[in-house]
Amino acid sequence: MALTAWFQHFFKKNGIVLSIYLMSAVLLWMVIMIILPQVFMLDFSFRFNLPPGKIGGEEDVYTISNYRFLLFGSPGNPDPYNVIDTTVFFRTILAAIFVTVFDLLLCYPIAYALAIVAKGGTARLMVLSLIVPFWINEILRAFAFRILFGSSGVINTVGMTLGLWDTPFDFIKADIALYAGLGYAYILLMIFPIYNAMESLDRNQLEAARDLGAQWWRIHWRIVIPFSKPGIASGCTMVFMLSAGALAAPQILGGPSSLWFTQIIYQWFNTGGNWPRGSAYAIVLLAVCILFVLFMMRVFKVRIGEIGR
Amino acid sequence: MKSAQFLRVVLGAYIVLFFAYLFGPLILMSITAFNSSEFPRVTPWDCFSTDWFNVLVEDKRIMTGLRNSIIIGFGVVCLSVPIGLAAAMMLTQVGRRMKSFFYTVVVSPILVPGVVLGISTLIFWDRLGTMFDASYNSVFYNGIFLSILGQSTFVSAYCMLVFTARLQRFDPVQEEAALDLGATNAQAFVKILLPFLKPAIGSAAVMAFLASFENYNTTIFTIVSESTLTTVLASKVRFGINPSISALAVIIVVLTLICAIIHEAMKRQEARRAQAAKDERVVADYASVGRFATSPWGIVLLVFLAGLGTIWLATRYDTASCKMRLQDERQLRLEQSTPSTPAVTPGAATPGTTTPSTTTPTTTPSGSEPAAKPYQGIFAPQNLDQVAPKDEGEAAPAGEGKSDGESKPYQGIFAPQNLDNVAPKSD
Amino acid sequence: MSVDVKLEDVWVRFGSFTAVKNANVTIRGGEFFSFLGPSGCGKTTLLRCISGFQEPTDGKILFDGKNMAGIGPNKRPTALIFQNLALFPLMSVADNIAFGLEVRGIGKAQRRKKADELLDLIALPGQGDKKVGELSGGQKQRVAIARALAVEPEILLLDEPLSALDLKLRQHMRTELREIQKRVGITFIYITHDQGEALTMSDRVAVMSEGVIEQVADSVTLYDRPEKPFVASFVGENNDFRGRVTSVSEGYAEVETSEGLFRGRVSEGNRDALSGSGPASIFVRPEALKIAGTATEASNAFEANLLQEEFEGNMRHLVLESKGGQRLRMTLVNDGHVLDYGPGSTVPVVFNPELAIVLPQEA
Repeated sequence: MALTAWFQHFFKKNGIVLSIYLMSAVLLWMVIMIILPQVFMLDFSFRFNLPPGKIGGEEDVYTISNYRFLLFGSPGNPDPYNVIDTTVFFRTILAAIFVTVFDLLLCYPIAYALAIVAKGGTARLMVLSLIVPFWINEILRAFAFRILFGSSGVINTVGMTLGLWDTPFDFIKADIALYAGLGYAYILLMIFPIYNAMESLDRNQLEAARDLGAQWWRIHWRIVIPFSKPGIASGCTMVFMLSAGALAAPQILGGPSSLWFTQIIYQWFNTGGNWPRGSAYAIVLLAVCILFVLFMMRVFKVRIGEIGR
Repeated sequence: MKSAQFLRVVLGAYIVLFFAYLFGPLILMSITAFNSSEFPRVTPWDCFSTDWFNVLVEDKRIMTGLRNSIIIGFGVVCLSVPIGLAAAMMLTQVGRRMKSFFYTVVVSPILVPGVVLGISTLIFWDRLGTMFDASYNSVFYNGIFLSILGQSTFVSAYCMLVFTARLQRFDPVQEEAALDLGATNAQAFVKILLPFLKPAIGSAAVMAFLASFENYNTTIFTIVSESTLTTVLASKVRFGINPSISALAVIIVVLTLICAIIHEAMKRQEARRAQAAKDERVVADYASVGRFATSPWGIVLLVFLAGLGTIWLATRYDTASCKMRLQDERQLRLEQSTPSTPAVTPGAATPGTTTPSTTTPTTTPSGSEPAAKPYQGIFAPQNLDQVAPKDEGEAAPAGEGKSDGESKPYQGIFAPQNLDNVAPKSD
Repeated sequence: MSVDVKLEDVWVRFGSFTAVKNANVTIRGGEFFSFLGPSGCGKTTLLRCISGFQEPTDGKILFDGKNMAGIGPNKRPTALIFQNLALFPLMSVADNIAFGLEVRGIGKAQRRKKADELLDLIALPGQGDKKVGELSGGQKQRVAIARALAVEPEILLLDEPLSALDLKLRQHMRTELREIQKRVGITFIYITHDQGEALTMSDRVAVMSEGVIEQVADSVTLYDRPEKPFVASFVGENNDFRGRVTSVSEGYAEVETSEGLFRGRVSEGNRDALSGSGPASIFVRPEALKIAGTATEASNAFEANLLQEEFEGNMRHLVLESKGGQRLRMTLVNDGHVLDYGPGSTVPVVFNPELAIVLPQEA
């Protein structure tokens, strides 16, 4: 009842042409582009990997074998569980958390400087110079780190010239290049939410706190950080999600022994040729990200609207 | 007071370090584009060269990828800007409870990993294609079509956020005023709302294009048998690198800088115009020389001149003779040194990087049949180790530093076939 | 040429909230009619019903007897001047004025001509190419009027259009609006919470409170003969003595209050409601209160304590406290006499029953 009334009102308010445009665009997006693909992926992850001819046939039944594989490996697996995939999975999550914390520590002072300390022209220049590097292709940014950290790269050359170490250090193998590159890639997504939140902080509060004799770290701990909480939550969520779901940087900067979970998914689709299993892995990744978002919303007591910004 | 000053200095130093981290890698990468060395590096410096730009332009795969990227970019703009606009307008009209559901659904693509979006789009259309028994040439398996859809899924959300921000400043009474004066709903939309949203449409379109242009995570799944600039770059970077990629980076960096400066210029001009309108007097010394040089347009001009200067320098500077000289020097050094240093020819070094060409992302998704693929059992531990050397091989070309170009007397001529050694052939 | 607007049993509900309760009023063609009431009284909702942005939940709105139900704002012969004017900031002044013609598909030259005519009417000749942002508040006001008049409406609706202006300009615009109305001769329906605006400009005023139209009358009647306690206390200042009715006779009633037995006028309409000994108020304007001795009335006398005197040049306002603890205001014309009473002293007060109004109170 309320729905038909709403439709009537909607059509009356917007007129026929506009109503049809709004409705169809939004439905196309929500249903065809967002909801249905996810539903199909979920459905597909519960199916066997069949050749095209057998899809829809009698062998095409539901199974949890793809999820079981992630946990226990193939039936002939001598280990009690799928050592490689689960290790990669947990390492990816831990590494993503590490990158998130790294970015938070790295970006908080900058956001503070931008929102509270810098003025007018300086602030604008800083914002612009923050944005410019992120207009440059993700792959090229990773490539730059490859050059920087390569065994004949600048860092090795400088380090060896200064006599800090004498054989080229393999930053890529040690995953340092990967963390530096991933951290670099998402700086902007950490700074801007925090900056946006901080900007509306009333500077008088800081003055007052300083006036009352609070040390700088206490001012941050008691005033600035609580105030910018939604921004911190938003930034952390985005950075975690993007690092856990990153593909390019691990492919380019990842060391030989450190596979990223997305790389495993990619291989199932590409060389592995097992799409249902890849879907199952993707669903697991999706679930982790959703859980993380919910967790952040819970811990920081923010709504999804504040995170999405 | 002293400690406050100290803190300020610390913060200042930190900001400098931070921006060094931000720009250092990009600057170094740009420099490598002008080094004639086979491997992108700053030291040791061989010869100043612009040859890598030629290599870049002659690279067919990059050019095809670029073309596809631009097509997809336009497709994404055309799809996601109208969708984002419709969604933003819808948000202002639905009830509160519906609104939070709607918002959660449409914002979720931003909070979902790009690979998941790519995979779900790929699977959805693949399944539809199977249902309709469509052929592999049909739209269901068309990489460009799928990429436009896949990318638009989240780009639309960005656009929506841009429009929502702008709409918050729109006074809906304006639309009512138009209706009251006799306009139809469509007229009110076209004549009142759209002009108001024009700047937002512009920035949403630019953002959509850029987001599409640089997207990798979603595209790598949806692109199927086609390629975009990003996927070509990724496969190049993964399987052997050379400075032509740096050359591309230089072009993108310069373009980005120019865009940023123009953007800044337009913003300032707008602000100045608004100020002038407020003051209601004409600013006379508008075009004075000193002002122009420091104005953004002046900077654009300077950047442009610097570019011309570089090109001029390149034509004057004889890279070939420098290389020849360098090569002679090396030959000499090599002859002097004992044969205990095995001369690794680049020919021997690069093929190692071409071997994994079977794993290029351009493998067709011709089916999900578990047919024998080279890396089928990739997750068995021993196989992982097999993959590993490949990655080391990627980093290895650094070792060939001193011997590069040794067996290539005609290094100056960067023929495509030379590139083909480095670039993996798609199958 | 001008159109009667008739509201018949109009109700507007938003969920559980009722914004307009059973509104019945006829606005005559060519009249300057105001809806006056505090914010939230439902007057803007009524205006939106007349302009077509809101459909009444119940009841009918008739223009010259024709039911307007289902006819959108763009199809009604009304033009609305919005509270914030809602000029289009991206268009020039002339384009703003000619917008209504543009959407009707009228050619450019003709639009320009009409815009120039209207610019002359509102005394802004030759300013058509200016941006809206370059105009002053009063000029914007006039452009909004011109834009509404350009579509030649039969009814002009004005939603507190003067509230954003400063006091001087507001008073000036009152006169100007009234003049424009006389010149164009169409129906003006004016919404305001400012009684000064309503009383000075309007032919008739409807006073609203909490969704109910309390009284419809011309300004003098509203002030001198309020029919409802709300009208008495909302329009102008009033002293309100509460009590119980003791007797009702021809045109008068007596009310027992804490200050004594007072006599005042009773209108025909309220007579029945006052018979019996129900609760009632007797309203006396500050200017109707007099100091005994200077006036001759014998009845309606009481004593009050002078708390404070506010001197305003032509007037003196006395703040009094009655024996029963009620605050009262008395306004005296400054006729050169020195006031005999200082703060703290007891003042004998009287008022004329002709100038006191007895109204029934809700129990």
